Amino acid sequence: MVKLSRYFLVIIAIIGFGIALPKLYWVAFSHPIRAPFIQYSCVDHDFMLLRSQDGVSRTNSEGTTFTREEYENKLPLMYTRQLLMNNTMPDTIDGVEMDMHEISANRSTFRVRPREIDAPQPTLFPLFESQSGRANLEMPSDFFRIIWRMEFIDAESNKIDEEKSRMFSAVLYKRGFKFPAKSINGLPTTRKSCDEGYLIVDSEDQLFHLKMIKGEPFVKKVEIPDGLKFRWISCVDFKDKFYYAYLFSTDNEVYVLTQYDYMLVKLDVENINPEENEIRIYGDLFNYNIISTGEGEITSQVLNKDYKKVDEYKESWPVRDERSEGKVAQFIFPAQLKMRDSNSSFVRFFFEANKSFNWIILSLLLMLVQFFIIRKRKENIKNQLVDFAIIAATGIFGFIAVNFFPNKFFK
Amino acid sequence: MSNNAIECNNLTHYYGKKLVYENLNIHVKEGSILGLLGKNGAGKTTTINILNGFLQPRSGECLIYGENTQHLTPKNKSRIGFLIEGHVQYAFMNIHQIEKFYSGFYEKWDNEPYWELMSKLKVTPTQKISTMSCGQRSQVALGLILAQDPDLLILDDFSMGLDPGYRRLFIDYLREYAKSKNKTIFTTSHIIQDMERLIDDVLIMDYNRVLTQRNVHEFMREFKQIALEVENHSIDLSDEDFVANFEKVNNKVEIYTYESASFVKNFLEKNGIVHHNFREVEMGLEDAFIGLTGKY
Amino acid sequence: MVYKEWIKTRWFVILYAVLGLSFIAYPFLNVQRDFKFSDANNYWYTIMFMGVSYFGSLKFVPVLGALAISVAQYFPETVSKRIKLTFHLPINENRVLLMMMLYGSICLVTCYIIQLAVFLGLSCIYFPSDIVMPAMTSVTPWFLAGFAAYYLAALIVLEPVWKYRMAYLLVTGTFVPLFFQSASTGAYEPVNLALAFLVIIISISLLFSGYRFRKGEM
Repeated sequence: MVKLSRYFLVIIAIIGFGIALPKLYWVAFSHPIRAPFIQYSCVDHDFMLLRSQDGVSRTNSEGTTFTREEYENKLPLMYTRQLLMNNTMPDTIDGVEMDMHEISANRSTFRVRPREIDAPQPTLFPLFESQSGRANLEMPSDFFRIIWRMEFIDAESNKIDEEKSRMFSAVLYKRGFKFPAKSINGLPTTRKSCDEGYLIVDSEDQLFHLKMIKGEPFVKKVEIPDGLKFRWISCVDFKDKFYYAYLFSTDNEVYVLTQYDYMLVKLDVENINPEENEIRIYGDLFNYNIISTGEGEITSQVLNKDYKKVDEYKESWPVRDERSEGKVAQFIFPAQLKMRDSNSSFVRFFFEANKSFNWIILSLLLMLVQFFIIRKRKENIKNQLVDFAIIAATGIFGFIAVNFFPNKFFK
Repeated sequence: MSNNAIECNNLTHYYGKKLVYENLNIHVKEGSILGLLGKNGAGKTTTINILNGFLQPRSGECLIYGENTQHLTPKNKSRIGFLIEGHVQYAFMNIHQIEKFYSGFYEKWDNEPYWELMSKLKVTPTQKISTMSCGQRSQVALGLILAQDPDLLILDDFSMGLDPGYRRLFIDYLREYAKSKNKTIFTTSHIIQDMERLIDDVLIMDYNRVLTQRNVHEFMREFKQIALEVENHSIDLSDEDFVANFEKVNNKVEIYTYESASFVKNFLEKNGIVHHNFREVEMGLEDAFIGLTGKY
Repeated sequence: MVYKEWIKTRWFVILYAVLGLSFIAYPFLNVQRDFKFSDANNYWYTIMFMGVSYFGSLKFVPVLGALAISVAQYFPETVSKRIKLTFHLPINENRVLLMMMLYGSICLVTCYIIQLAVFLGLSCIYFPSDIVMPAMTSVTPWFLAGFAAYYLAALIVLEPVWKYRMAYLLVTGTFVPLFFQSASTGAYEPVNLALAFLVIIISISLLFSGYRFRKGEM
């Protein structure tokens, strides 16, 4: 029993050091690698790259360097106000007249990151009155959730509004909604131009649009192709009000859902997985630029306004494990543990095994050191075999652990 | 032939590299009282710790009632009463709480002797033991041991910090208790006059070795101090076989030996050592102890 | 056996039970005030969508109580090596240690259950389950940390050699922070079970240093 308690303590120590030592190592030695900021020039029909690693550099996809002014001149839709100030704003581009209103109405930015997706999701949402007649949206006094029915809970009293709940639940039921909801997606903020309600996925992966119009429920079932499942739906509030949301499918595709006619339009891009990569979508007067940033790689896919791909750019750089500090780490740590990960908002035991076997060298060395330590203490090697196995498997973590909890047992 | 309550065989222990003792053998017969005497650092506490199972000897073993002291069974432990040096107790309790605590563990618990002793103590019922004087605490400790009614008592320096009145109380109680009920006692103490009144057998340790282990009365009979004065100030008899210890201050000599006085006298005359005032000195146990182990 | 442990720790346990309750109740004073000052719906909104937490002040309450009880229980045993008296009792020594550990664990469980019950109860008055359940998830690792602190403190206090006490302290320093990662409400959900398992297995840690004490490690 006492021996068992020692082994349990050794396990705890290995976990503790397996987290603490790599953490210390990376705090000391990690270099941030900044991915280039990619924009698409409608003037040159080429990619413009802004790098801020070791000083700022501005190039295009071929590597030609530009000054700041030259660079900004290539991106009139982005730096409109600056070019206007410099008087270098062109009147037309590609035959289209430059109208300030149009430019600003078509400008959109969107970003989704893995740690927004792998995160605890809210289950209670405010359903705004979408046609209140007021210029600003008001926070409703109740919140809804969709479990075995749709329930509205009044914040002040913490009680369910039975009438409202039944009314809305009935409409959902009538439209074919299968309770409970798998996901509820919308913009639960009053800081938007207007309220377009929520896009809700039911338990059978059907998609519904829910709004409250003058206190009455508005529910529309959105027809989607068979077998299409979504990883993630992000509702948006863009000036052009063309579509409700970006929808990311489990097949790494991206769709938009148009307003009013609920057409699901597929974007001509591939390999878009917001669960693993940061996805940014920039829209301007002429193009959409979908940028996927992952570990060691960035991809930019540019579409025209009909969502057809017109250009693509890829760039990769050495991952942490391939850089010198990563290579050294491979000699030290058999694996690395951490509780937090940049791609998740959850706390887990994130386990990263060492891809190479270089750490075995250190393990063998430490086993040798342990051998001498045992000899010096004049103890029986046979009793310590399990300790050797632990050091062999867990390298420096095990070595510290077995020596912090001495293996000294008497007959 | 009674059994050995305590039996230690070939006990060897080191503190780090320093040898405490080697191949020590101890036998304590049931019903006898053994006193372990030695200077500070001779290994008394080490032996007590090994006996109580709080120290693993480098080699050798100790058996109490036939069981290895490193793995005493609960049944055996209930037969052993233990007094820690300094009368260490759970001092945050008062005399009622502590009696209640211990009584739950021992089947044979008889609190009459305990309360008899406690009635002699002038303490309030809720007084914590930590607020009592050394002597009072020793009484509590003694009372607890008596109530436990163990067959073997191991007492580490029972006289520490006690004034003569308490020491006498302890010794008288203990000897009466042990002899009337055939209990075995293994004890150490600094204060050797007390031991003299209490023990049957004595074991005297010095650094690294046992000087003697035998019945105390036999020891006192055979171990002698011969005092005399010599003419020749430079005489040194320490290396002689019969001399256990040789002390000299100017011309006053003390010879400690197991041999008879006449033997010594013969030796002196045979070797032409001129002396005056030859006499055999009557010794108490303490004198004998110092005689055997030497003054510092 | 329990009697002695109770005498050692009763004031600490009672004090902690009372204080702990007031610490648990304290955030709800703030909640009440926040309900009055912002409107209820805005208040719920900040909690659900802006990451505001109404219970952050509870973070270290379980650990502090556990440490107090652990020290109150085990420190008096090491003074003058008094634990020798306990080891000398006619019970198996490991059993004795486990009983001491069980006593402390039960004290903690009782205190914590009361605290959690009050927390749950008060929360449910003001908030729906969609807020309360993630809050319970977030609060769980803090209570688990309390047990971890209790067991590891016992291990450290009973260890006879100072060098190793420091080593154990270092290990504790790498392990206990795992329960206090700053994260959004409900983020600990995947890992609470694993942490609970780890806490259970270190419950017997004190046997290790107890053994070393008994064998006379210096």
